[in-house]
Amino acid sequence: MASTACFMIVSRNDIPIYEAEVGTAPKKEDAAHQHQFILHAALDIVQDLAWTTSAMFLKSIDRFNDLVVSVYVTAASIHTRLMLLHDSRNDDGIKSFFQEVHELYIKILLNPLYLPGSRITSSHFDTKVRALARKYL
Amino acid sequence: MDPVNSTLARMLLDEITPVVMVLRTPFVEESCQKNQLSFIEMLSPFCNFNNIDVPVRTASDQPYRLKKFKLRLFYASDIRQPNIEVAKERLNQVITDAGEKDLSNLSSEPLQIESVLNSSQNEFLPSWFQYFNKELVRTVSFSEHEAFDHPVTCLLAVSSRDEDPINKFVDLFNINQLPSLLNDGSMDPKMLKHFVLVHDGVEVPLERATKTLAEMRSTFGANCCHLLCINSSKDGSEEHENLWSAYKTDISHGQQLRCFLSSDDLDELKKFVQDLSSKHIIPHMEQKIRLLNQQVSATRKGFRNQIKNLWWRKGKEDAPENPAGPTYTFSSIESQIRVLGDYAFMLHDYELALSNYRLLSTDYKLDKAWKHYAGVQEMMGLTYFILDQSRKDGEYCMDNAFTTYLRIGSSGQRNATRCGLWWVEMLKARDQYKEAASVYFRISGEEPLHSAVMLEQASYCYLFSTPPMLRKYGFHLVLSGDLYKKCDQIKHAIRTYKCALSVFKGTTWRHIRDHVHFHIGKWYGFLGIFDVAIKNMLEVLACGHQSKTTQELFLKDFLQIIQQTGKTYEVPKLQLPVINIPSVKVVYEDHRTYASQAAIHVKESLWRSLEEDMIPTLSSKSNWLELQSKMLPKKLRESNICVAGEAIGITIEFKNPLQIPISISGVTLICEHSPAVSEPNANNSIGEQNGETSNKSATSGNCASDTSSFTLSEADVALGEGETVLVQLTVTPRAEGTLKIVGIRWKLSGSLGGFCTFASDLVRKKVMKGNRKSKRSTFDNLKFLVIKSLPKLEGFIHHLPETVYVGDLRCIALELKNPCKIPVKKLKMKVSPPRFLQIGHKEDLEVQFPACLERKSSKQRSLRSKTDKVSDDIFSFPEDTSIADGTPISWPLWLRAAAPGKISLYLSVYYEMGDISSVMTYRILRVHFNIEVLPSLDVSFQISPCPSRLQEFLVQMDVVNRSSSKGFQVHQLSSVGNEWEISLLEPTKVLPSDFLLAGQAISWFLKLKNCRSVTDQDRPSVKADVNLLCGSEMVFDLYSSPLSEFHHCERVHQRISDQEHEDTVDFILVSRSQCEENDRANIFSHHICHCSFRTSSPIWWIIDGPRTVKHDFKEPFYAITLKMIVHNSSDDVVSIRCNPSDSAVNISSSGTTSAASGNEVGWHDLSLSNDVKITPDTPGTRVVKPMSSDTVPSFIWSASSSTHFTLDPLSSRETPMEICVFSPGTFDLSNYSLHWSLSSPSDQRVESRASSGTCQGHPFYITVLQQD
Repeated sequence: MASTACFMIVSRNDIPIYEAEVGTAPKKEDAAHQHQFILHAALDIVQDLAWTTSAMFLKSIDRFNDLVVSVYVTAASIHTRLMLLHDSRNDDGIKSFFQEVHELYIKILLNPLYLPGSRITSSHFDTKVRALARKYL
Repeated sequence: MDPVNSTLARMLLDEITPVVMVLRTPFVEESCQKNQLSFIEMLSPFCNFNNIDVPVRTASDQPYRLKKFKLRLFYASDIRQPNIEVAKERLNQVITDAGEKDLSNLSSEPLQIESVLNSSQNEFLPSWFQYFNKELVRTVSFSEHEAFDHPVTCLLAVSSRDEDPINKFVDLFNINQLPSLLNDGSMDPKMLKHFVLVHDGVEVPLERATKTLAEMRSTFGANCCHLLCINSSKDGSEEHENLWSAYKTDISHGQQLRCFLSSDDLDELKKFVQDLSSKHIIPHMEQKIRLLNQQVSATRKGFRNQIKNLWWRKGKEDAPENPAGPTYTFSSIESQIRVLGDYAFMLHDYELALSNYRLLSTDYKLDKAWKHYAGVQEMMGLTYFILDQSRKDGEYCMDNAFTTYLRIGSSGQRNATRCGLWWVEMLKARDQYKEAASVYFRISGEEPLHSAVMLEQASYCYLFSTPPMLRKYGFHLVLSGDLYKKCDQIKHAIRTYKCALSVFKGTTWRHIRDHVHFHIGKWYGFLGIFDVAIKNMLEVLACGHQSKTTQELFLKDFLQIIQQTGKTYEVPKLQLPVINIPSVKVVYEDHRTYASQAAIHVKESLWRSLEEDMIPTLSSKSNWLELQSKMLPKKLRESNICVAGEAIGITIEFKNPLQIPISISGVTLICEHSPAVSEPNANNSIGEQNGETSNKSATSGNCASDTSSFTLSEADVALGEGETVLVQLTVTPRAEGTLKIVGIRWKLSGSLGGFCTFASDLVRKKVMKGNRKSKRSTFDNLKFLVIKSLPKLEGFIHHLPETVYVGDLRCIALELKNPCKIPVKKLKMKVSPPRFLQIGHKEDLEVQFPACLERKSSKQRSLRSKTDKVSDDIFSFPEDTSIADGTPISWPLWLRAAAPGKISLYLSVYYEMGDISSVMTYRILRVHFNIEVLPSLDVSFQISPCPSRLQEFLVQMDVVNRSSSKGFQVHQLSSVGNEWEISLLEPTKVLPSDFLLAGQAISWFLKLKNCRSVTDQDRPSVKADVNLLCGSEMVFDLYSSPLSEFHHCERVHQRISDQEHEDTVDFILVSRSQCEENDRANIFSHHICHCSFRTSSPIWWIIDGPRTVKHDFKEPFYAITLKMIVHNSSDDVVSIRCNPSDSAVNISSSGTTSAASGNEVGWHDLSLSNDVKITPDTPGTRVVKPMSSDTVPSFIWSASSSTHFTLDPLSSRETPMEICVFSPGTFDLSNYSLHWSLSSPSDQRVESRASSGTCQGHPFYITVLQQD
């Protein structure tokens, strides 16, 4: 079954530092900007919701048609949010995905050459994220 | 907010009011049209009562006073469900009109987001939304499932001009002409009738009208007849425009209404309508409510009725399901309840209405009459809202109604829209903007245009929610804009996108930014507002992250827009190509000039270290600075200096971020030139003025006006996918003054010009002067002081090979040329590195190479002193050298490829101007070139002392050809220094062919003899060279000019440690190969220096004596006399002690001797535990017993078994030795040791070498045979 999934990491000031289309559905030309729009708009909800709960994983906080946005708010000082736009209902998988990506992200942060809040360009990170997406989503 | 004062309440008071059906004759309409009004229009201003103040008593006994009231008038023909198509058309028209109105501020800048947030809701929200929503709600009026659109009263109007008015009244209410809704039973046709006689004051006399009225009264009843006088004004000059302006949409404001209505008429109209409402309609409704309430109470209220009702409903379940639900006629109890509820609602008795709606909703639900059910739910929600009770219930009802409407399919869609709109208003009134936005989002259905409006309204809801949800606002604006575009409402689309831009401005979400800018740019292009279009399109051009097709699309559309403008635009922020400003490098020549591009890229520090000694010292340098300071203002002194007529080069990196190739043409610099001025103050203003004019010429694309003061080079570049290209640009100043490089200008795809100024950005210029590196803005770095033209030397290297093999020695020529009239003189030159490059002598150019290296005769040979010419030093050209007028002079340079690899060679020529008056007194020409040195012969030496001879060494020379293809002839091997003689061990030719081919290795064995002696140190050795090539007698003189200097450099280079050893020898191997180009033989010299021949001790010795003796052993022993020759090769006096020992001792005491063989100085411990230790110092012969049976006591040292003597430097001495043998056999006489010690330990060499040591004897075998 073809699924749509768009994963993004958003840093402080809503600056995206990593983005990946991890769905299996064939790419559509206008999908990229649509996904960005949805995720960007969902930040409004995250902003409200993040302070009302102590949970890091906020599942299905926003939706647009059949696309659902789930967010994992990290405890980092730079207020990084992992956002996933998906159309599947696999909540456990998404949670595991977020947790593992968070681990990867922490590893990136540990790199002394990585400036927190800058774009993640590591190809290793990219490969790992895509592998995790295949595994869990 | 009080719900009664909310927008929704006002809307409800507007919309849910009693309907009056109007029937009139054509004459009535005609009379009204005199005022350009229809009959309804004429009456409608008076139908709205803000304070009617009528007491009302409905079901309860308690009367209350009605304040606000409104009547809706409709012609009978309009009482039907509106045509969907017509309604749609009208809505579209509304939207289009609104779009046209907005055109004025289309091209204005998008608002800052802060100002959007600060602006109040009313001023920001487009006003036409209200109107549109009202129109949208009206599309579902007169639906059969609701009762509030049912006419309460019928108003029959007949003109007094009509013939036989009584019959006309009867005809008007003819059942056939009535609306179908009344006929098919969904509306109650029995309604209150009111008869009006419209009297046109002009046409008919009043008497006739009064007469008719009396007739009417007698026919229809006195109460319900009325006479209405209009048009009593004769001249039509009355003006009451403001009364109708709200009701007549199609009049333009400038048009004067011809109004025949006098103020008396207006009063009468007003009174008529008020009477109609308060005296007829409201009492009628009250009465009906009471009647219906009684009915409902009788049939439905009470326990018994409810049971009955349930039972009865249950029975109906078996009936076949009707998709539209069961139909109810007006007489059915359900319809009656609905009418009761609606009437109560209209008379503001909401409690009564609510109770009836509740009752009804259960009935409809049981009947599965979904549309009716939804309608009732909707009304319940509204009632809850107005009563301000139980918000949750109200929302639940609205939600329920909305979903139910949607569920029944397309027919319910528009009802759902209306329900949604009311719901939204409800939420808005309670400040629940976020929820309202989601409801708006739900309203947006299939109809794209309506959805667009709804989405836009949703976006505003997000904006007004607290805290404002700006991202959602932006997103919904974009969604709505897309839908607008789909419906060809470009202006609306642009409006929404423009609002969205204020949210998304400067966002780092690249796809979002690209999408918004691209579309808004494209749409502006459609509208022909090209400047804004281009501005937006520019934002998306550098979209390296997009797919290739998208990039192509962006670029294509962009160029299309440019083409449509038909002009060449020049824009300041063109992102294609990307200019790497920090990569900008400026190359200019002040007193430093460069022979080639390559010389420019060499580090400045390298040149500086090379020229350190050559250029005048600080005092002389400050001289010309001072000279300048006299003539130039301080400010200009700080700037860089360049010479008129000499180009300033700028290197800029252009990068194409796209995956598609782009072409750039006409890349030029933008420069400003201001002529030299006397006053420093004036300089500023003139510079700026010039800057303006220059900028003007830049925008017009015409650089010709500037050519007088400077010329620019132009470059065209084609950039491939993702390619980065370095562009070289030059500007050549022609006149003295100040030149400032302002920026760069280029053309994209031949149509769009872009320019970029360096001033604002960081320019990391290659700063060439260290003392001027102080912090100055980069802008100043691009400012040049142009001085008068000066002579400039040009330098070329002739005969420069690109690749050479290691060891290649050749002569190259440096040619210097001065194209200027003014001569230059006092030339000095320095080269680096000296290992590779040496400056030759003038005459070297003429002589034949390599013949010049050939040794002429042995007499001329003299060892050139190394201090004779220091190769590191500066070479000065002859005093009379002066270069001018383009006459070149050449000077030879010797090139020797010392080591393989890519070698950079530097050459710096200093010269002074012949003309004293010039600002600069000297300049420097820097020449730099690279050669590739390939490996050729690899030579290594192994030297070992010759065991049989004193002062002689065996030398093994291994030569390996490491080149890939070239063959070499090994010509000559020379040892350097006067104390060596070298010769081949065997004078035969070893090489199978003349050439040592690639990859081949060969070894020669040579004998090296040290003929150093104290007496004649300066006599050069005759036999220092050996010719390895057969058939060639030519011998190269290694002390001739270039070779000896190179050898010196090699020696310095190959030095192992700081201490110079005496015990080393240098070899030079000369080989040759045939040159490909000409027949000239190439000479290769390989210098192997500091080959150590040193042994651990300074002494040499050999034992001489018979090897075989015969003896009959008649006597028990036989003494054999030997002699030992000892040579001292050091420069010091050595004392030597010879300790012979016996073989057994040799073994047992080896531990001691080996320990002592090291560098032992002074007292050292001897192991006394070794009881067989021999002390050979005792004179006389001592017979030593064998220690073990397997060691044969073969011989003993006899005679002077321990000898002690001293040796002078470089001298030899013979010492006699004797052994006694006892039996025949072969004896190894190596069991002796020599102890030596330097007698002068105070000598400085002590540190580097041991002052004493012990040497084991060399093996010497003697065979004693039995003589028979």
